[in-house]
Amino acid sequence: MEHKELSIRFCGIAGDGIVSASRIVANSCAGIGLHVMVNDIYSAEIRGLGKSTSTVRFSNSKVYSMGDGIDILVGLASLESIDEIDDMVPGGSIIYDSSQTSDIPEDESLASHIKPNMQGYGVPLKKLSNQATNTNKGRNIVAIGAFCYLYGLPQDIFKNYIKKIFNRKGEKVVTTNLKAFELGYEYCQKEFPLDHEFPIQTDAKPLTMISGNEALARGAMDCGLQFFAGYPITPATKIMEICATELPKLGGWTIQVEDEIAAAGAVLGAWYTGTRSMTATSGPGLSLMSELLNLSVMAEIPSIIINVQRGGPATGLPTKLEQGDLNIALYGGSGDSPRVVMAPTDIKDCYTGVQTAFDLAEKYQTPVIFLSDLFLGQRVETESLELNVNRNRSTRVKPTAEQLRNYNRYEMTQDGISPWLVPGEEGAFYTVTGLEHNLKGNPNFESVVHKDMTAKRFRKFKTMVKDLPPVEIIGDEDATIGIASWGSTIGAILEGMEIARQKGAKSKLLKSIMIFPQDENAFNEFFNSCKKILVFEMNYQGQYAALLKSSYNIKPVEVHIPSVDPVSPAKVAEKILEVQNDIK
Amino acid sequence: MKVIIIGAGIAGMTAASTIRKTDPQIDVTVIGKEPYLPYNRYLLTEYLCDQLDDSQLYYLNLEEIKELGIKFRKGESVKAVDPENKQIKLFHNEVLSFDKLLIATGGRQHLGPLLNPFSQFIKSYYTLQDIQLLKRNLNSIEHCVIYGENLSNLDLLAGMYNLGKKITYITRRDQVLFPLLQSEFADYIHEFIQNKGIEIIINDKPVYVEKKTDKYRVLTLKNKKIDTDIIFAWDDRKPNIDFCQADKVYQKKGILVDTHLQTSVKDIYAAGDCTEIYHPVLKNYWINFGWPNAQEQGEIAGKNIAGHKVEYQIHETLSFKLMGKPLKARWWE
Repeated sequence: MEHKELSIRFCGIAGDGIVSASRIVANSCAGIGLHVMVNDIYSAEIRGLGKSTSTVRFSNSKVYSMGDGIDILVGLASLESIDEIDDMVPGGSIIYDSSQTSDIPEDESLASHIKPNMQGYGVPLKKLSNQATNTNKGRNIVAIGAFCYLYGLPQDIFKNYIKKIFNRKGEKVVTTNLKAFELGYEYCQKEFPLDHEFPIQTDAKPLTMISGNEALARGAMDCGLQFFAGYPITPATKIMEICATELPKLGGWTIQVEDEIAAAGAVLGAWYTGTRSMTATSGPGLSLMSELLNLSVMAEIPSIIINVQRGGPATGLPTKLEQGDLNIALYGGSGDSPRVVMAPTDIKDCYTGVQTAFDLAEKYQTPVIFLSDLFLGQRVETESLELNVNRNRSTRVKPTAEQLRNYNRYEMTQDGISPWLVPGEEGAFYTVTGLEHNLKGNPNFESVVHKDMTAKRFRKFKTMVKDLPPVEIIGDEDATIGIASWGSTIGAILEGMEIARQKGAKSKLLKSIMIFPQDENAFNEFFNSCKKILVFEMNYQGQYAALLKSSYNIKPVEVHIPSVDPVSPAKVAEKILEVQNDIK
Repeated sequence: MKVIIIGAGIAGMTAASTIRKTDPQIDVTVIGKEPYLPYNRYLLTEYLCDQLDDSQLYYLNLEEIKELGIKFRKGESVKAVDPENKQIKLFHNEVLSFDKLLIATGGRQHLGPLLNPFSQFIKSYYTLQDIQLLKRNLNSIEHCVIYGENLSNLDLLAGMYNLGKKITYITRRDQVLFPLLQSEFADYIHEFIQNKGIEIIINDKPVYVEKKTDKYRVLTLKNKKIDTDIIFAWDDRKPNIDFCQADKVYQKKGILVDTHLQTSVKDIYAAGDCTEIYHPVLKNYWINFGWPNAQEQGEIAGKNIAGHKVEYQIHETLSFKLMGKPLKARWWE
């Protein structure tokens, strides 16, 4: 059987080298120009025995999601891997350890759960690992060797990468790991027929891999991030780790504070001085930050809050995926407190989008909540970013000399943007408070002042529309089925649309990183060109659909997927086909 | 009741099907060593020659297995039977319990002591995997050496001939002779094969094989040297019963069974090429190799496991209609 793309999942417990194995496969494939996406799923418990999986999908063409089903399961832990069989495609392969030393009851055996439409490959992973490395630690590498043979892949792509990554550990480690790989390969060569092939394009250029969190941190630093404050939380911690390592090299600072309230406060303090700063958190952290978020709105001090969403509410599902924080991002906090909400849809968006977030925040003196999610933040994929590096980038509207003669920090302007003089700059001083205030910033609770100031704070968002990144319409222009969605779900939708198109159902997607504000004209134009609107999102309530319904005159078909795994392209396609039948 | 059947060949699958059809309440697990759905072994040469597709090769598909309600485990092998505890242990140390067990592991081609040291250079022509590997390498094969008098070698001769390969056939007899008892074809097969341009070496046997880069060199007892691309050879056929402990399930060459196909241990049955049954005429235990016999024994064993009392009648099964047509027709007509 010839494959154009493959998806391999490693499953085991801590210490099995699940992530190492998947990274070896992923980077080896990327190294020969294959497009790769990797998704790790691990348990939330901070202890040594939790189950974890890492899935690598690779293809000769661009991949937008983790796809539907896995082709190969490598079960490094028998019992823990049983549930993963449900994700297998028909005809898939399961590599399991045939050299377990203790007896395995039938119910707990991975092999006993293999279905007749799949193929089990018992490989003595432990035995061969010990033969090569004198430890059990090479089982993952033996499995990669087995996989390499069983799917007809060239050995060199893996061997070269194994040499590269283990080189820093010395020649012996390189040799033993290569041996482990070869033993796995040779065992399968001897024992099993070769049923699968994956043709490789030999002229493809190597691709580099990056995660959403890495792209986001890199994007922020490249556009002038100078100060990062945060408190660790899954799945956002990686952003802080990168900033802690890289920002000092650029002359910036990273500080780990006592909690998320302090993080938001520190970010606000830095922005008060005009310093580009940000924090990164997840849902529970955003809840805590809402007080400071309101201060950011009222005091018109910019702030950037990255929220890498996970399952909620409360501490919820720390290591699982959900798009459930849209409402708190849009509406969380007291009073009428508008803020920019953005949601990157892919890795490129993480890089360029966060730079836009900084520009909007600084120019419009507003908080920006940047809603990434666990899948987008943690997944690693091949992506060629067009770097845009300017650490002196600034969009601040500064007061003119004339404005400084009688400087009003909260000048009532037509576009809602009051020229912003930061402390330390010559010309004026002013008061900043969380209380309602007059033009100078002094507390004032008069009705007319509150009314005018609230209107000004909202007016900025009308002005902002001209600076928003344009929406993209993807798909068949003449399609009557329109899809609106947000965040990482877009990837699965793109693949689902293609599946549906091959089955005769055309559709088009409105792709926008902006949740609020939006270019209403562009949205209306798109919706008016469709007979049916579909809205997919990964939460129970249909939070994005609710926003769209309240903003536009539409009655969409809502697909709420409160799942903990990435959306399935096949299910998206199924829904598109269903809607097409309704139109007929 | 839980029944485990070791072996997913025609005996095992017929037994599984019979049990489920007789009593659908019985839980049946079939464990097959080969990584395939049950296939028609006698169609392998047609498959080699691309004269049929996959759907014709397999006699049970996934849907039919599902309908039968059998738990089918392919690509797994058994390493031990524990009759006392009514358990079996698989190669990867998984332990399964049973109420009744059927051993239907079939037979395999076997090299004698002379050729066994060269087994890494000698190809087998017996399983679907053998054929798949052969198919993959066909382009690099111009010439082959075939040694042995079993019917599958006659099949192989036909296949390689049809594929346009040059063939040297070696036999230790004084003429080409396959076990085609009561068949007229047996009388003139030597000339027939010779007329097809196949080189025949009689009264000789391979004794040494060496690898020469991409080729192999075969040395015979009479000091002939034959350079070839691939060698097929086997001396005899043996039951696959290595995993059984001789002291618990009584065996000679194969597993001994009574006429109900029950072994020396209650609730453990055996059927097909792995069994030896008493032949009253021969006055000895005897293995009746072959597909038709295995199918018949599978059905009888299945019925007995499901609670019936059916006896196997000793008879010899001769079939000259492999692949659904007479042996001769499959390559010459």
